[in-house]
Amino acid sequence: MNETDLAQGMRDERYFADEGLLTAVYLALTLGRPLLLEGEPGVGKTEIASVLASVLGRELVRLQCYEGLDAGQALYEWDYPKQLLHLRAAAERAVGDVYGDDFLLERPLLRSLRCERGAVLLVDEVDRADSEFEAFLLEYLGDFQITIPELGTVRATVTPVVVLTSNRTRELHDALKRRCLYHWIPFPDNERERAIVRAHVPTIEEDAATTLVRAVAGARRLDLLKRPGIAESVEWARGAVALAGTGDPWPVALRRALGLLIKDEEDMALVRRDFEELIG
Amino acid sequence: MTSAVDHVRGFLRDLREQGLPVPVQRQRDFLRALASVPPRDVRHLYWIARTTLTTALRDAEVFDPVFARWFGDGAVAVVPSEVDVPGQERQAPDPSDGDPPDQVVQEGAGREASWSIVDRRASFAATTDDRRVLAELRGLLPGAVPTIRSRRRRPARRGDRLDVRKVHREAWRTGGEVVGLRWRRHPQRQRPMLVLIDVSGSMRQHSADYLRFAHAVVGVCDRAEVFTFGTTLTHVTSALRVREVDAALSGLAEVVRDAGGGTRIGPSLQEFLGNTRRLRMARGALVLVLSDGLERGDCVPLTKAVRRLSLLGHRLVWWSPLACDPAYRPVTRGMARVVGHVDALAGVRDLETARDQLTKGAHAWR
Repeated sequence: MNETDLAQGMRDERYFADEGLLTAVYLALTLGRPLLLEGEPGVGKTEIASVLASVLGRELVRLQCYEGLDAGQALYEWDYPKQLLHLRAAAERAVGDVYGDDFLLERPLLRSLRCERGAVLLVDEVDRADSEFEAFLLEYLGDFQITIPELGTVRATVTPVVVLTSNRTRELHDALKRRCLYHWIPFPDNERERAIVRAHVPTIEEDAATTLVRAVAGARRLDLLKRPGIAESVEWARGAVALAGTGDPWPVALRRALGLLIKDEEDMALVRRDFEELIG
Repeated sequence: MTSAVDHVRGFLRDLREQGLPVPVQRQRDFLRALASVPPRDVRHLYWIARTTLTTALRDAEVFDPVFARWFGDGAVAVVPSEVDVPGQERQAPDPSDGDPPDQVVQEGAGREASWSIVDRRASFAATTDDRRVLAELRGLLPGAVPTIRSRRRRPARRGDRLDVRKVHREAWRTGGEVVGLRWRRHPQRQRPMLVLIDVSGSMRQHSADYLRFAHAVVGVCDRAEVFTFGTTLTHVTSALRVREVDAALSGLAEVVRDAGGGTRIGPSLQEFLGNTRRLRMARGALVLVLSDGLERGDCVPLTKAVRRLSLLGHRLVWWSPLACDPAYRPVTRGMARVVGHVDALAGVRDLETARDQLTKGAHAWR
């Protein structure tokens, strides 16, 4: 698959990547390296993994990180109750038997190695896991393998495509970053954002989309606690279209649906104040 | 061909000299990328190089000029405009490689002048009395810091979840027969501590003791972060990790440059809140602000920042030297608005009063 096909495939999945992101994804695929994506919330970091999975026809395996996540939940776990039952049922058997494939519980990382068609692994919000957890990832990210002491090393049948996302709430360890390609996803320009909104809300009219996207861009320039992402502008468009369908004029619909764009009381006051200006 | 290789090598060397050393592994990625994805144009090359060679958004500050020097004819055309860059990077970019530029010595902001207070007080610190109180503080602190249930389970005598792994291990010795059960539970762990210390001129006589207190906090608590603020915000946790309290305080002089100067509490706190990485330190934490709350100028940023801090943290405790006076009422413009968002306002002016607060007032921290 060359870069043009990739871009087309992603567009077909309603994902509009700019040149930088496209290059990063394409390099991750050709070099077989994990891709670390950072950016403000709601710019499509998580989305890209599911888009890639359907473009490449692979299974999406997702690992949501959280504080306290440990190896047993991310890599693999032995099925102890089953092992015990097995031991008791056949006391004369050799002990080594219970450390076989039958007793292994797959967790996301192991699962992504053993997918037959290959997998797209999404390690979401890796900055939420505590920093010790990153160490578990190193062997996997470097060589796409997991060493299970009792069983040996499990290697990938098909090299998985790995996407890590981070919201930058803490600095990731250098060892992790060294193994990954890095890309920062910025907010899209107006042109691209309009394409995104129109692709996700096909019923929206051309000028309405233009107004909406300009308003969102204006809102991002205000001094907000939480700047709205693409996800929010799509939701806003959806809400406004629904309200406009009940007979509201367009600016009124936009104003009434504002709760879908802005999720903080103080931000809301700011945006309300400048609303006329924002929608031009 | 050789010249191209030399050119790339020169580019990588220049990057390193400009303060962006690229590990060999990533350099190899870059070269492999060039071999397998021949760049269409300079812009494409830019993205290939940036994806493989940088690891953080701020790297672009070093990377972009170097790239433009080696590959760009129209230097600006190569660099795409970053529309949005969050938090710290949105402010004026540093020309240097990430280190804050040394501040020009101004009247009242000079290093010597500002830290004479600490140096002078350092002789007092040697008194055995102060050291005794500090030792008492260290003993009191772990019990005073509120706790939270850890997310991880640990083996425990009594617990809520069977430790199947351990039961299984032990059953092996008895031929698969389960003789005793083992349990795991969520242990309690300390909440994070966030200490914000006012080092402005009006707090001159208290800041040294406050910093000593902060030194004890950093030394004893599991997760503690300390910031000082006067006109700017300074992260001082690592400077306070020095074991010896006097050494730590004189080391602080290297870091804190705005002591004894003016007060900008609101803007400093907002600077703290504007950065997601710092924001994380306040989340669920016990936030302790040591300040008299005498804000000059506009009080709106102060009120907003304090309100946000109290929503983010577990408890927001405000220690003010003025509140030591029994007749004190928070009526100054700043404090009057702030006090509604604060969980506890207490009077602390030195180590003894801090100790009294820990023994008597710590219930407000729970």
